[in-house]
Amino acid sequence: MLSLRESVTIIVFAVITLLISPFALAATTHNVTLTAETLPNGQVGYAMAGNQAVIPGPALFVKEGDTVHVSLTNNTSIKVGFKVPGLAQSGSRKINPGKTESYRIKANKAGSFVYHGDSNGKELLGLFGAIIVDKAHGPIDSYVDGDGSTIPVKANDIDKHFVLFMVGSTFWGTEIIPSGAQQKPLWANPNPGAVENDIVRFHILSIGPGHTFHLHAHRWLKTGTSEVIDTKLLEEGIDTHSFTVKAGTGVGPGNWQYHCHLIAHMEAGMHGSFIVDPVGGDGASVVGASPYGNILLGTKPNEPGVVTFEVSDEPASWFRSARGDAIVELSKPSAAGSPLQGADIKTRSLEVIYPGSSVNFIMSDTNGVHTISSLLWPTGAQHMPFDQTSAYRGGGFVTLHTPGLYVFTCKVHPFMFAAVIVDDPSTNDGLDLGNPQSNHTIDLVTGIKNLPTSSDLAVRLLKTFFIATAPDNWQDYSSGQWNVKYPNLPLITSGGVVNLSALLNVNEALSAGTVPQKRGVGEVWVNTQFEKTAGKYKPGTTTVVDTANWTVKRKVALPQINNNNPHNMWSNRDQSVIYQTQWFDNKLSMIDRESGKLLKNITVGYSPSHVMTLPTNDNITIAINGENGIYMIPAGKTKVEKMMPTQAHGHISANPHGHWISADGSKIVTPNINTHDIGIYGTNGGIEARTPTGNNAPGAHPIAIGMMPDSSKIYAANLLHHTLSVLDGSTGTLLKTIELIKDYDPLTGSIVDKDDNGVEAIGILPIQSPVSPDGKAVVIASMGGQIVIIDTATDKIVKSLPCDPGCHGANFGAKEGGGYYAYVTTKFGNRLTVVDIDPNGDGEISDAAIAGYISLVDTHSTAKDDMVSGLPGFGGQGVLAVPNVYNGWVQNLPAHWKEGLTTAQQNPIGD
Amino acid sequence: MLFKSDRAKCDTRLIENSDATPGVPQKSLIKRAAVALALTLSLSALAPISESFAAEHIIQLTAEETQDDGFGNKLLAYKMLSHRIDGLDITSRYSSEATIPGPTIELTEGDKVKISIENAISGNDIPVPGISKQVSIHVHGVHYDILSDGTLKVINKNFDEGAGAGLEETYVIYEYQWNVAPGTAGTWPYHDHNFETHNGAEHKGLFGAIIVNPVGVPSYDKEYVLYLGDDAFWGMEINGVSKIQSNHGVNPTLVATKNSNVRFHLIALGTDIHTFELKGYQWVDPGTANRINQVAIGPLEKHVFSVTAKNSTRYQDNNFSNRLLGMEGKFLVQ
Repeated sequence: MLSLRESVTIIVFAVITLLISPFALAATTHNVTLTAETLPNGQVGYAMAGNQAVIPGPALFVKEGDTVHVSLTNNTSIKVGFKVPGLAQSGSRKINPGKTESYRIKANKAGSFVYHGDSNGKELLGLFGAIIVDKAHGPIDSYVDGDGSTIPVKANDIDKHFVLFMVGSTFWGTEIIPSGAQQKPLWANPNPGAVENDIVRFHILSIGPGHTFHLHAHRWLKTGTSEVIDTKLLEEGIDTHSFTVKAGTGVGPGNWQYHCHLIAHMEAGMHGSFIVDPVGGDGASVVGASPYGNILLGTKPNEPGVVTFEVSDEPASWFRSARGDAIVELSKPSAAGSPLQGADIKTRSLEVIYPGSSVNFIMSDTNGVHTISSLLWPTGAQHMPFDQTSAYRGGGFVTLHTPGLYVFTCKVHPFMFAAVIVDDPSTNDGLDLGNPQSNHTIDLVTGIKNLPTSSDLAVRLLKTFFIATAPDNWQDYSSGQWNVKYPNLPLITSGGVVNLSALLNVNEALSAGTVPQKRGVGEVWVNTQFEKTAGKYKPGTTTVVDTANWTVKRKVALPQINNNNPHNMWSNRDQSVIYQTQWFDNKLSMIDRESGKLLKNITVGYSPSHVMTLPTNDNITIAINGENGIYMIPAGKTKVEKMMPTQAHGHISANPHGHWISADGSKIVTPNINTHDIGIYGTNGGIEARTPTGNNAPGAHPIAIGMMPDSSKIYAANLLHHTLSVLDGSTGTLLKTIELIKDYDPLTGSIVDKDDNGVEAIGILPIQSPVSPDGKAVVIASMGGQIVIIDTATDKIVKSLPCDPGCHGANFGAKEGGGYYAYVTTKFGNRLTVVDIDPNGDGEISDAAIAGYISLVDTHSTAKDDMVSGLPGFGGQGVLAVPNVYNGWVQNLPAHWKEGLTTAQQNPIGD
Repeated sequence: MLFKSDRAKCDTRLIENSDATPGVPQKSLIKRAAVALALTLSLSALAPISESFAAEHIIQLTAEETQDDGFGNKLLAYKMLSHRIDGLDITSRYSSEATIPGPTIELTEGDKVKISIENAISGNDIPVPGISKQVSIHVHGVHYDILSDGTLKVINKNFDEGAGAGLEETYVIYEYQWNVAPGTAGTWPYHDHNFETHNGAEHKGLFGAIIVNPVGVPSYDKEYVLYLGDDAFWGMEINGVSKIQSNHGVNPTLVATKNSNVRFHLIALGTDIHTFELKGYQWVDPGTANRINQVAIGPLEKHVFSVTAKNSTRYQDNNFSNRLLGMEGKFLVQ
């Protein structure tokens, strides 16, 4: 309630406003000439005519009623606009590179406003700035003094303004001293400074995912209220909050932290300090990392620099350096005069910086949630491992001091890679892969320490990075040639200077192989998650293979919903509807199986990974990989009914990936990638077991589950531990951990039968691990390029078969006349591998063999809802055979589907 | 000059504790004393001259691990060891157990607080390079100098301000001083800032609240403190008459007498942004004359309102996944 005094004051002000209103007609017109520029690190920003481009853009201070006339010239290579949400604007056209456009903004109300480039997400790379509209007359704000009194502030009372933009998980700052000549860019995560008792106005603005801003030991008024606060929500989209403090009032000098108070953003590095010097100090701000600073090709090597990766749903460029395209071009053999000519980098996910510079990540091109997590780093590096407790929307910021190679991934999508080499300026022979001070070794998040960078394992990891992040290096069977080119760069390793290109390049003929001789039953649906089509921006199709003639029957792209990274599927009982997750989004699609048409696109939690039905009632269960539970949709319904938590209240989010359901429908079993355990949950709720995997090694990363048809055992593949955990199906007790790289020597790369199982076999980075419907075999698709077969009778490896790079998905379907095929998909190849687990049908699986291959590239006879425009047939992940022949499900098939199956296939484990 | 003498005493105790821990540089302790003296003098100069209602609180908290979830996963929790106001022991108002949420500390504008933290987490005194074993109390809203920030030295540039082995220093007990100055009325969170990293363990159970009442505030029949986490509400209540704190836990059922005046204190935690609703009720948006029926609230924001209990209903979070997780509780009016 307003006090009498306040009411009187307001009336008096209202009268004064009326009296002086004619002056408003004489309001100022500000003519602002801006250019949009590309900065040395590839970020984009606005520059005030002739000055350097800055992030945030120049702050514009105007009075209510003023007009701002902006003339903008676009010197970048992208389309750029100028938009001020919240203020009246005429002109909103986006401008092509090289062109100029005018915009007129009317400052029709007081407040703080964001202007931005309206560039399809690229504005988050730096095309944003503040327009501060102050009341034309009287105080513009108030602060809370140390004695509790509220002191009105006029424009000329303010000693300093700080603009702090909250973008991704990074602050971008500017210092403005009203009496000073020029705005001072403070860049990323700066430490703004002031002297005790200075009147300091903070302008906090955000664009993109939401935040809360908190400044230690200071308090201020929530705009337009008498409420005293010290933390303020900035809602998703665009939001602003300006407030004034008297520096250090009531609390004294100090380095007072400011930060976003979302835990995931705190962990992602979103903080700085407000330095309040004692009276007599200089109150100087400490500038943060700059896009011009000490990075490869940086223009100001004496300042700390920053490189920026856009987090993207785009295949291969999941972490795309803001200058990735430019570096690829500059490094081509044809790039005459370029300092990088001939390096032939190919990947957009590699950056080079110098010690003390930083790496910035911004989730600007993705609809999913992610983490920014270090996978490996030079031994002894500071700030490592870099990680967050849960997946989120935002970004990340980390400063790197120790020379060597750092690889970052997303725990939710563990094939997303960014590599940063911090090059030691004192070594001249090449780029440093490890710290020269510690023998060039690296440490891995899985607990491996002091790994020589010349070791076979280190080289394999590098190969994986340069294949995964460069589609030019993928195995395109339709081209007939595999031409892998690694960068032509000298690298300093534990074994001396090497050139990857000399060491690793491959150029060999590729043959897609022949199709299986025996037919399968029905269809095989493959999530060709990276395939691009003309009618949509996001990647991914589903490729339907007809097992009668082993041809690609249909492509389902779903352009009308911009179908984004379809990852995994399951079908309803009568096999009429395919359920499909969009792993980089928050959607589940329901597709009519026969026509390939979209039935419904349903909003679910973030980064849904796998979907399965309950065999008992056909209800749908969806593992929400980016969150903390399983979504449930009742059979026949298109609305989520509930989320079943995967952990007790308040505990770390489990982030389940590839779950499985027991054949009797009583249990849901999840591999919990964030907590490194297997969870067993009652279908009707309740946590029955949580069993850690990985033998206490950190970061085992269980990713997919298979179960025996009688539910007696659970098999869980541990991606980063290269093991298969065997658990008791009813109690969840760990029975055995099968090592899949026991035969492998990480230093030399030699493979010998060290586990005495009679075969030389390895499975590096195992992913899907289904059990055959008859319970005889576990087939493990391993990203390192192997298919490993386990005999469930002994739980030993009996066979290792080759697979293409990025081997990922596996699932079983019926073989015509009896038996089963395992269909195995690969991300960085474009054919489907068909494994016959028992070719001679003797019930013994050690003769498991590859039955054939099917190209996943469309042909003229393929039915499709959109035209394939790139990466044909690539990105194989989830795979589903129709009809579903797993025990528990096969019994529910309609009669016409059962007709194609043998008696044994209809009842795979007998009565 | 109260602060000065106690600050000195506090330093003496810290030095004693530190003597048992090799590797603590003596230099930093001397520096600490000097900084403390300078800060104390500057704070005293700012303190209001007349404080007829001011009370002095001496509070001791500890932090410990909770029982596990049945599968070996634990949370952390604060416990009230002792709370004296001007010598009067009011510890019995609090739970004798460590609770999530932690104790709610009621204060009045003008009060002074000395609050110390002990660390009962096993192994907390064994330093590990690169990992902090400390627990701390970082409070929002009230005044304190940089030595009571409750952060690690990498942040505050002075000390590892918590109990246990920090990144650089080890303390058995760390004491903070709060000046509940005029202008700090409101409900504010306190939380750990030092466990494992400089971000602390507020999302693992180490959080609580202070309620700073202005002098002469109306009393309420019940105070409900509700924290909006990433999968549930954590709550507790205070009886307005006896001041007894009870009903700690997840999505608590809140019971009120019909037509009684009750006050809700909302604080968000974790990573999610929420929309809170008390179905069928409206309240005054703090600091305004507006009546609202829902509020968007982000981590570590607070939102305080009172209602007259008329009808039973439920409180809930409308965040998409949290709604489906059943993040709600009953408000029973009897």
